Amino acid sequence: MSARDDEIMRVVAELDMHVAEVEASVATLKGLLADGELPGEEG
Amino acid sequence: MTDVTGEILRRWREGHGWDVPRMARELRKAARDSGEDVAAHHGLVKMIPQWERGGRAPRERYRLLYLKVFAGTLGDLSDGMALGTDVALRLAEVRSRAARLPAPGEIKALEDAVLARPRESMTPAEIRALAAEAIAHLHEVAGKLAELSALLGEDTP
Repeated sequence: MSARDDEIMRVVAELDMHVAEVEASVATLKGLLADGELPGEEG
Repeated sequence: MTDVTGEILRRWREGHGWDVPRMARELRKAARDSGEDVAAHHGLVKMIPQWERGGRAPRERYRLLYLKVFAGTLGDLSDGMALGTDVALRLAEVRSRAARLPAPGEIKALEDAVLARPRESMTPAEIRALAAEAIAHLHEVAGKLAELSALLGEDTP
């Protein structure tokens, strides 16, 4: 892997982290809106 | 594959709303367009879940076919394989997810809708904080996408 690839992968990893944070927050909000339960919570 | 996991391939496929048979058809079409021989449809239908589960890694020609299938997401990256295959696939997967994120206004609307219905599991302050955090990360996403475009030498608006 070239140095450029390494740099791109670094930024992609950071991007991935931020995307995951948004996805998780939006999933939580949608879960609250849908039925008042947080995603993954049962019983 | 070293950097691209089967989970990414699965999320990538599902992100396009394709079932496994559709993914197989798309891979075979890409192969046909470039005059390559690949496994029969039923063979691919068996192999794709194996790749996605990580039980086995797709060979180089199939990884290249994935790049062709998702060329629209990859933009110019697949041309001439300017990037390593694994890097291009990973980049395309994350970009694809970023493109499907809601806009800040949509998150705000979601926040308002949740706040309109009082609930015990989260206080209004926590809900507002959660939405604000999501929007803050969304801005970071935009920044990282711009940084990537600059690294890749892409034209920016």
